[in-house]
Amino acid sequence: MEIAKKKAHTYKPIKNKKSFWGSLIHQRYLYFMSMPFVIWVFVFNYLPLWGWTMAFQNYRPGKSMGEQEWVGLQHFIMLFQDERFYLVLRNTLAMSLMGLILGFTVPIVFAILLNEVRKKAFKSTLQTITYLPHFVSWVVVAGIVTKVLSIDGGVVNQVLTATGLVDEPIQFMTKGGLFWIIVTLADLWKEMGWNSIIFLAAMAGIDPQLYEAAKVDGAGRLRQIWHITLPGIRPTILVVLILSIGNLISIGFEKQFLLGNSTIVDYSEVLDLYALNYGIGLGRFSYGTAIGIFNSLVSIILLFLANGIFKRFTNQSVM
Amino acid sequence: MKRIIKKSGLLIATTMLVLAGCQNDSASKKVDLDKESTGPVSFTLFSADPHPQWDKMESPVSKKVKEETGVSLEAEFDVAGGEQKIPLMIASGEYPDLILPKGNAAKLVEAEALIDLTDLIDKYGPNLKKVYGDYFNRLKWSNEDEGIYILPTSQVNQTYWAPGTGFMLQNDVVKQLGYPEIRTVKDFEKAIKDYKEKNPSIDGQPTVGLSLLADDWRIQITTTNPAFLATGAPDDGEFYIDPETFEAKMHYRRAEEKEYFRWLNHMNDSGLLDKESFVQKYDQYLAKVSSGRVIGLIDADWEMAEAQRALREAGKEERMYGMYPVTLTEEFEHHNFQDTGYLGGWGIGISVDNEDPVRAIKFLDYLASDEGQILQNWGIEGEHHEIVDGKRVIPEDEMKERNNNANYVKQTGVGALKGFAPPYGDGVVDSTGQTYTIASPDQIKDAYTETEKEVLTNYNVEMWKDLYPQKEDFPVKPWGAAFNIPVPGGSELELIMQKSLDIVKKRVPEAILAKPDDFDKVWDTFMNDLEKADVEKAEEEYTKLVKSRLELWGK
Repeated sequence: MEIAKKKAHTYKPIKNKKSFWGSLIHQRYLYFMSMPFVIWVFVFNYLPLWGWTMAFQNYRPGKSMGEQEWVGLQHFIMLFQDERFYLVLRNTLAMSLMGLILGFTVPIVFAILLNEVRKKAFKSTLQTITYLPHFVSWVVVAGIVTKVLSIDGGVVNQVLTATGLVDEPIQFMTKGGLFWIIVTLADLWKEMGWNSIIFLAAMAGIDPQLYEAAKVDGAGRLRQIWHITLPGIRPTILVVLILSIGNLISIGFEKQFLLGNSTIVDYSEVLDLYALNYGIGLGRFSYGTAIGIFNSLVSIILLFLANGIFKRFTNQSVM
Repeated sequence: MKRIIKKSGLLIATTMLVLAGCQNDSASKKVDLDKESTGPVSFTLFSADPHPQWDKMESPVSKKVKEETGVSLEAEFDVAGGEQKIPLMIASGEYPDLILPKGNAAKLVEAEALIDLTDLIDKYGPNLKKVYGDYFNRLKWSNEDEGIYILPTSQVNQTYWAPGTGFMLQNDVVKQLGYPEIRTVKDFEKAIKDYKEKNPSIDGQPTVGLSLLADDWRIQITTTNPAFLATGAPDDGEFYIDPETFEAKMHYRRAEEKEYFRWLNHMNDSGLLDKESFVQKYDQYLAKVSSGRVIGLIDADWEMAEAQRALREAGKEERMYGMYPVTLTEEFEHHNFQDTGYLGGWGIGISVDNEDPVRAIKFLDYLASDEGQILQNWGIEGEHHEIVDGKRVIPEDEMKERNNNANYVKQTGVGALKGFAPPYGDGVVDSTGQTYTIASPDQIKDAYTETEKEVLTNYNVEMWKDLYPQKEDFPVKPWGAAFNIPVPGGSELELIMQKSLDIVKKRVPEAILAKPDDFDKVWDTFMNDLEKADVEKAEEEYTKLVKSRLELWGK
């Protein structure tokens, strides 16, 4: 994912066919070397798109293409008429937006704070500790979260009742409104350290001379952060932001599935789980594919939108 | 550029070829009933179940079978339930001679990979016919295709010596309260309430009255299916089948069940229901139950067996559970033991690639014969069991070996081939009045703890089963069990069932946790939601399925 600074094209467009073939022959080894990767991408990323045709059929496994029944847009119509679809779409977008806002800003702040720590040993220990939860599976994290929030000896409720803040233990896991927050915070706890690595790496690449110059000019810590560190990692921030916007709709369903329970399903069910339950789970491969196509299209549109906006205002883009 | 086009063209061409290869040439073979080979023959076999005790047909018992039938097996056992292997077989069109496809039989039948066994059994399978007996009709595939493709390998006429579901109380509860009658939900509630008042904590932790579980589909086992059983109906999945008209009805829509859920609502209101019931996950539930501080459960034995075992291992006999046939009021009876008849299910089929189907069916028939079954259950006479006074007896040493040697099956072959042909169930007797299997009620009684024996004695019974209304008290259900009627994949019925299940998962806990005054309101919303999900249409479709099964099974 290279950042291409927009600048004037330095090469001349090739108008004449002969010179194209000329350069092809001239650069044949380069073309030849890139070939395996082109084939790789084609086979694993483009050929599977063939499966999208399933969305327009009543697909039955084990039958050949010719035997499938074509139904046009029927599955899409069904999808857009299902109330439940809008409910899960709301949940998906709500949780991913909350996750984006917190899960994006906190790692940056954390990375900046960590960067300001002068003691090397302390810094690396802290960093290791914070990114370790990334390697803990969601099953375990969900277990910890429910245990901590439980009314049956959960730490949070014990603290709340002991300090007299509440009289009765609160059943956090049955409050639909709280669920989004719980998921977001659990995700933050798990991924904060990991997500800050890329920013720390970007900070390491800033020329130390800039800081020295700033110091000479009389800039304090905060000034240095504001004028050197932040602008220094701006390209990284933008790339990460654009890519996460592109992923807004595909947030998976692991955490919601594991943390959710039947009393708050109206808040916990997300698009991917819906696709699993009502698509593949019922053997409705076509319906599942239709949801998948919807997902991909929304992702692409979001990505282009975000990219377009940033390109316009900042002259930077991922494409 | 050209190269790319050429390459991609090639790739597309190969893809097409692969796709084309997926089409099977499904010319169904006609079985030649008279063609039969002589001498030793070897069949390949695929089973979707693992078989860690497979003896490769080299043990004494399997050698004896080989001697009698001339058949040996080259078996492959899948660890992944055949989910990948069977579709691959279909795609390649090459099948082993014998297949145990588990849940994937329909795919094989649809691909015409299995032969119709009807005529073969007619001519060469007298023992198979005898084992299935009156249930032979139940082997037919469907109304459209009455062929027999799969021989179910589950036990026939199994006798159940232990109840599978009911209301459970810790043995200490009834003991401390002086063995009160536990017959209705009111009795059950009173027992929990009285005991909890006397013992506010167990082992230093607060006592939990009644704990339920709503982790995904498990809500059906602890919360919604008991509503069936507590209101005098057998468990038929999500639908109640009227025994006279065979009309199917979503069981929550029965008026009696509303009262059952109202009682659960009352339990919650009076603080006897575990507040975490609908939040906890299965492992948390098991951990809680294993800790011994949950005094009441409403569950199936298999779901809480692990916790029961943990309690036994921890030596907490008085914290283990007894099972009682509790119903809403005395007018209802607990239908746990109502007979469904033979349900069939997963089994073995012979593929179109089998060159010698006659020998194959004869082999299966031998396994189903008295001689074959006794070999699989008791072993070889004089080696694994002895005849004393005309009765089969397993010597003590041998029995010890059987119970303690983890590789007994592999070494002796006793039971190694049992899963390949239909066996009689526990309790079925042969012409000499002895059981085919070695299991007996005494075995179950021997496994009871001292506390259990004490409780049972005080209730004047020998087994938990005796507390329940018996099998003979109910007519056999002519439709078997409705939950094992296959719902056509991709049908509207399947979709409505999924939708209503999602509604149930949401509304039932809501109704139970509501304030008692709001219960009716929540319940009405629940009923409306079901109607909106087109549940009436589903009932209609399901009735059709039940009726067509009755027709198929010839009743």
